[in-house]
Order: sequence, then C-alpha cells, then structure tokens
Amino acid sequence: MTMILPEDFADLEPFVADWTPATSAERAARRSAASATALAAFHDAMAPRLDAALVWLDARPLADLDPAGRNLLGLCLMLAHVALAVETQGQDEPRHALQREVMRITRTPADP
Amino acid sequence: MATKPTFTSVDQADLDFLGREPIPAKYYHDADWYERERQAIFLRSWIEIGHVCELPQPGSFIRRELEFAGVSLLIVRGRDGEIRAFHNVCTHRGTQLTDQAEGRTSTFSCPYHRWTFGLDGALLSAPDFERFFTTKADCALPRVALDTCAGLIFVNLGADPVPLRDWLGELADELETLPVARATRFSEYVYDIAANWKLTYDNFQENYHLRFIHPRTGEATFSSENPFGYPVRYQFFGPHRTQTIWTNPEPRIAPLQRVAMGKAMIAAARRGLAGGPNGREYFALFPNFFILGTVAPHFSHVVYPLGPQRSRGVIRIYWEGDDADASERFAREYVMAMARDVHAEDRAVIEAGQRGLASGALKHIHFQTQEALCRHLIGAVRDAVAAHEAAAGTAG
Ligand code: FES
Ligand SMILES: [Fe+2]
Repeated sequence: MTMILPEDFADLEPFVADWTPATSAERAARRSAASATALAAFHDAMAPRLDAALVWLDARPLADLDPAGRNLLGLCLMLAHVALAVETQGQDEPRHALQREVMRITRTPADP
Repeated sequence: MATKPTFTSVDQADLDFLGREPIPAKYYHDADWYERERQAIFLRSWIEIGHVCELPQPGSFIRRELEFAGVSLLIVRGRDGEIRAFHNVCTHRGTQLTDQAEGRTSTFSCPYHRWTFGLDGALLSAPDFERFFTTKADCALPRVALDTCAGLIFVNLGADPVPLRDWLGELADELETLPVARATRFSEYVYDIAANWKLTYDNFQENYHLRFIHPRTGEATFSSENPFGYPVRYQFFGPHRTQTIWTNPEPRIAPLQRVAMGKAMIAAARRGLAGGPNGREYFALFPNFFILGTVAPHFSHVVYPLGPQRSRGVIRIYWEGDDADASERFAREYVMAMARDVHAEDRAVIEAGQRGLASGALKHIHFQTQEALCRHLIGAVRDAVAAHEAAAGTAG
C-alpha cells in the first residue's frame, strides 16, 4: 500500500489533493485562486508542522524521496506561497493576486 | 551596551553636480526621442542577456530575441568552450535557423535548404553548393560582440564596441565579488509593462515610493529613524551608478519569512556566499541592468524596451548549486515568491505614470535629492544621445 504522506504527517492528508501542484508557477496560481478561508485553513494546519516536516525531509536525499516524501515537500513549498498571502498581504491578498498575475514565473530550481 | 545605528541621509551638496532643474517629460514618452535612444544606446551598448550557467557544455545554446533591435540571437558554447553570439539568420536567404528557446546541438541546420552551420558559425555544408557564386568562408553566420563579467553575458550590436571591462570600469571587479559569479541556478519571472523603459527602470532606483506602494511587503525597510527606507550612499561611475542599501536595525518580519530567511542565510553561509564586500550594494549598469548584492534574494533585473511606451522586465534570482536539501528548496521558493510579491506591486503605478505623461499634460517632471539615481540616468541617456549624434553628424 502506498502512503499519501509519511506516517507522522498523516493528519495533513486532506490537504494533499489540493495543495501539491508540480511547479512554482502552478503553486503561485493555486495561491491566487484560493479563497481567504481556504488559504487560512491550509496555513493554520501546515505552518505549525513546517519545522518537523523539513527535519524529516532534510534527513533524506532530495532526489530520491518516495511519493509520500514528495507530497510532504510539495505541502512545504505551497506553504511558502500561502504564508505570503496570510501573513504578509492579509486583506490585500485578492487585489494583490491581480497584480501578480502578469509576473510570469518561467523557472525555479524546484521545477521538475 | 549596543548602540543603535543611526541613519544619516546623503547630502544634497554631494549631488549638486547632477543639477536641480526639472526634467523634460518628453524623454519618457516621445517616439522620436525613443528612436534616438535606440540608435545611440541600445544598438551600440553592452546589454545583459543571460548567464553562463545556461550554457553548461559545448553545444549548449540559448536563443534571445532583442525586440528593441528586431533581432534574434543564438548564444552558443563552442567545442573550445568559448561562448559566441550569432544572428539567428541563415546566410543563404535569411531564414531563422531555430525557434527553440534553448537546447544542445552539434550544428544548426536551416530548415529551408539545409545549409548547416557549426558551433563556431562556420558554414559546414550546403546542398548543391557548386551552383552558388560565393564561398563557404564568406557565408559564416553573422557574429555579434559578446563578453562576460561575473558570469553575466552581455552582447553589443555595435560594430567595434569598447571592451566590456573598459565599459564597466572599476565596477567590473566589484561585480566579480558577487554570488552571481558562481551561480549555477536561477529562479526567473518576467513581466510586460505599458511604460517607457526609463520610467520603469527609475521606479527601481528610488525608495521614495516604498512606503506607499509596498506598505506590507516593504515593512522590513521602514523605521522611525528612516521612514522612507532611503539608502545610505549613492556613487556614480561614468554612466553607471550604485546605492548602498540601509540596514534596518529593527525590521518587522513575518513569522515564516523569518524561518525562510534564516534557512537562506544558513545555506549562504554553508556555501561561503555570505558577508561579501558588496553585500549591501545595488548596482545599476547603464543602460538597463540592475543587480542587488544581497545573498537572498540575489537578483538581477533587466528592463528591455519594446517600444517608446512598452517594456519587458526580466528578474532573476541567482543561486549557487542545486538545492542541497528540502530546507534550502523551501527557502529559495519563499525568497522567489516574496521578491515577486514586491515587484508585482510596482507595475500598475508605473503604467499610471506612463498614461499621465503620454497625455502631454506635463512639460516637466521633478526629482528630489533621493531620486538622484533617476536624475543621473536621464543625464547619462542625454549624454549618450548627444555624443552619438555629434559623432554621426546628425545632431537634431
Ligand atoms: S534560407 Fe537557409 S538554406 Fe536556404
Ligand atoms: Fe517598488
């Protein structure tokens, strides 16, 4: 049986389907498409687990993470974007999303 | 007891050589003036177009469209390791050789009649070539001047340009100290803007707007002793200029920003990138290139003109090495997303400025002391246009 997330992070499984896009550009678009409620729910669930997740991931070579590890990494990277919405932009996020749309991300080291 | 560093503003007296007068508004929207800039500056200056890490091995190539010149270039690493620039134009009847943005190849073969060129631009083979009235030696790809500094690739469309290092002067050695000289990876985002290249560029060389346009993302920059987050120093090097950014002793930082920046600094220290001599310098190379010396983000920003009132900005955040672990990948993702959040906030207000100027309502615009870099740019532009037109005998 394949796990969706490493055992210690099973409580985050409900977020995997919606919050693990494959590229940085898709993560940025996912943030912009999300409602304030959805952003807050993901942030509140994931932010307190970030340190533990990165400790778990850092103990393994990035290149050969299993699917569960890759999902966990995806949640961490998604949180980078969502944190900007929740912690920095706050009320301004919907207006800010419109301004960001034209800043096209063409590549990042995280992209496959 | 630690003493709080205090902010000391630059002194206007040190900037008086730039003048104090208002600046004609037409420079920022007029089509005739733009054409004069194009001829005098963009068709004969060193323009940054990429980084050596994009060409890791012999046969690696990138294609670059220089819209301001209407040309397409192939930047190619040869078998000898040398990087060269050629027009992406078959010497038979002009067909563009490739529409691939980047790749690796051993030859460039024209799709039309299969003339085939080597990585050094030489015409290697051409079907039925005996029927032509020329030699292969005369049919090499047209070459464009290319040189590098700090890993950054510059091209110059001029006929016999001054060497890049002479053009950069004493800044060349300073640039070589930056992490970009060792970069192997980058994050990139790109925007198009309905604004003149100088109006766009100027936005990124003054801090006067920060507290109004970046009230949230700019919070780490503001403090009661320096409410506008002004720099502590401006320096001028011929047409180029730098500012030394201020260090806020009490920055306001969001929780995950603190985590991400902490991890970014750990990674930079591990890689020996932290604490370089130019870590607080922001370089502005004439005409249209910036690079910020900080390690996270360590970004370059190039504003390419597309027309008198249209431009394209390319922002790259340079990194050394592949992501060592998940923490480094997280830090790089956050730093990229944060820088993009900030840059996204500028575009709308720059376009609003362009619409206002294009209306012709204003004869002049005004620069204050802390917009000295903007004043210096228009001075350098006017000097370059005057010098070119005097040399060409076309002064108008
Ligand atoms: S145009 Fe290229 S081979 Fe004819
Ligand atoms: Fe700005």
